[in-house]
Amino acid sequence: MTTANRTEQDVLQALTDEERRLLKRVLEIERAKLHISAYEATDDLLGAVKEILP
Amino acid sequence: MRIHSIKLTNFRQFNGEQTFNLRSDTLKPVSLIFGANGAGKTTLLNAFTWALYGSMSDDVEEQDRMVTDIVWRSLPTGGSTEVAVELTFDHEGHDYRLLRRAEVRKLSDDQQRPSPEVQLWTTKADGSSETVGAPQERIYSILPRGVSRFFFFNGERIEKLVQKGAYSEVQKDIKVLLDLEQVERAIDHLPKVDRRLTADLKKHGGEKASEIQTAIDDLRERETASRDELKVLEGDLATLNEERESVTELLRQHASAAPIQKQRDAVVKQLDEARTGKSAAILERASLIASRGFLAFTDDLAKKTTDMATALYQKGALPAPLKREFVDQLLDDGRCICGTPLAEHTEPWEKVKDWRQRAGLQAVETAWQQLSGQIAPLSGARLELHESLQAIVKRISLEGDRVSRLEETKSELDGQLMDSRLEDVQQLESKRIDLDSRISVKLQRTGSVKASFEQIKKEIVQKTVERSNAEVTDELAAKARARSDLVQSVRRALEEILAIRSEDMRSRLDAELKDVFGKITIKPYIPRLSESFGLALYQNVNGVELAVPKSTGENQILSLSFVAAVSKLAREIRKERRAEGELPSDAGTYPIVMDAAFGSLDHKYQQEVSRALAQMAPQLVVLVSKSQGLGQVIGELMPYVSHLGVIVTHTTAEGDVSDDIELEGIAHPYVRSSADSDHAELTVIK
Repeated sequence: MTTANRTEQDVLQALTDEERRLLKRVLEIERAKLHISAYEATDDLLGAVKEILP
Repeated sequence: MRIHSIKLTNFRQFNGEQTFNLRSDTLKPVSLIFGANGAGKTTLLNAFTWALYGSMSDDVEEQDRMVTDIVWRSLPTGGSTEVAVELTFDHEGHDYRLLRRAEVRKLSDDQQRPSPEVQLWTTKADGSSETVGAPQERIYSILPRGVSRFFFFNGERIEKLVQKGAYSEVQKDIKVLLDLEQVERAIDHLPKVDRRLTADLKKHGGEKASEIQTAIDDLRERETASRDELKVLEGDLATLNEERESVTELLRQHASAAPIQKQRDAVVKQLDEARTGKSAAILERASLIASRGFLAFTDDLAKKTTDMATALYQKGALPAPLKREFVDQLLDDGRCICGTPLAEHTEPWEKVKDWRQRAGLQAVETAWQQLSGQIAPLSGARLELHESLQAIVKRISLEGDRVSRLEETKSELDGQLMDSRLEDVQQLESKRIDLDSRISVKLQRTGSVKASFEQIKKEIVQKTVERSNAEVTDELAAKARARSDLVQSVRRALEEILAIRSEDMRSRLDAELKDVFGKITIKPYIPRLSESFGLALYQNVNGVELAVPKSTGENQILSLSFVAAVSKLAREIRKERRAEGELPSDAGTYPIVMDAAFGSLDHKYQQEVSRALAQMAPQLVVLVSKSQGLGQVIGELMPYVSHLGVIVTHTTAEGDVSDDIELEGIAHPYVRSSADSDHAELTVIK
């Protein structure tokens, strides 16, 4: 999958709309909780998945 | 984040309310504040971190004495007073006012450490204020605490950033700042999400899907265990390598061992090259054999094939060079090419029809033409293969000899160090050998875990495909499968993004670091950031790159260069199009507040550092003493200074200790003696 010349944009473009939306949302959730080392992300991430695939 | 102002209330030696405006622009990003030793520069630096995080650095003594001594002394027992720091700043399009304050009640002459409360307000577009519900959480999300070490620091202590053993801690903060940490965390967290989703699939998905899911779950567990083991191994390897490097460094510095160690460094480098050369040649041979090796077995194949074809022609077994399609055309037209009419069942018709059976199909003819075309160059290609193989075998043998020779030389040098009559050299060498063997064991284990990790990943992909194809009738299970597929695709994409970002960040940080360091240093040293974000300084000695034992000053310059590089990259990356989507234009922008910016640097370096400082960050607050900050330093910095201040030391000491500081041709109070109390006064000059 990974090739030497692939960029982040290439990876994003190869995703479907739903995958791109989830990826962005997952990073938002994780970024907001970076300062909490013991953060249990499962519920928030699961919520994001269910928002995108209701 | 850009700081607008700081207001101190009874904070340590700053009695009463004292405010300093720090608003600056990109043309004049610097605020320069002078203060004598003990005036309160370190306290002012700590006022920023206390406001943000409620803590001060370890080098601040008497941390319980938060309220200014004179204020505390004049307070009656049972009375209370306030200690506070207020910061105003903007961040990603919002204006903030941050207040950390404590009401301190006097129960005895000794101060008890106060328990401050933090409040945060945002200013809306209409000018009204709104309280932020979870202020500390918001502050952490604006500037995570660990990351603040890059932006609020003491120049004399900054070398700790690049000291050996520090980088595993620093590495994590760099990852936060450069948007790697959130990707890593997402990769860690998504399997748990997937596990929850696939529980439904296992329950309702039918026998086949459930069986596949159980297998995937098992693989996932093994994947997690392998990843955890790899992390531990990488950490162990980093520690062992550091230890080995420090032992080798001691050998390099040891008067009697140094020449041998130097020779060994050179031999080790050559040995690495020779081993790489040998492996490359062996790989080349394997690839040649895989692609053209069959030619070796075609000794008389060409001749045999030609002879066989001729014999077949002669026997009429091979189709004649006449196309069946052509004969069919003659029979259809009812006339031969010689003009003879071809009426059905006449003798000429029968003769031509007879040719039809012997004529070849176009496809057969073409195949034969192609094959016969390849027969001729076959023997040439075989000869060529023979020559190429001979050349590669010769190279392998030469590199092999070189490896053996260098291994012998290295063993001899190892032996010389081991047999040294000096006990400490012997001990160092024994330790190095022991570390070598421990590293080798860890490397082997790493290799094996990595291989099994890759295999597990492949199996998961395969099983996921099987799962997609398995029949699932239950609606709930089908939904769970679709969601799990989505999560897995995103996780794979994140893994790829992490690999791309890590390498991109490392190479850009490395380049930036080399650039900044090169502008400051006067020595031929080259900094290098390793794949694990470890920072080292090298020097090229007769073609061999040797690690440089860094002085405190060099460590300070290296750290400053590192901070500059990190600060620049943090801003740059957020302007690029990334998975997180569009970010505000000032995302990744942070001020740098530095105490004792020039640490223990000599004048030459002070000048170079001050030249580099103005370009380091979009906002800089520099705290310096008169001896560090006047002369060339102020000359270099002044064009970029928007605010100039002095922390005036008021001392109760008697005698002629008063002093002034001359800034832009005017003398300003610097130290004032015979005061009522010992305290600091933050005065604005510009």
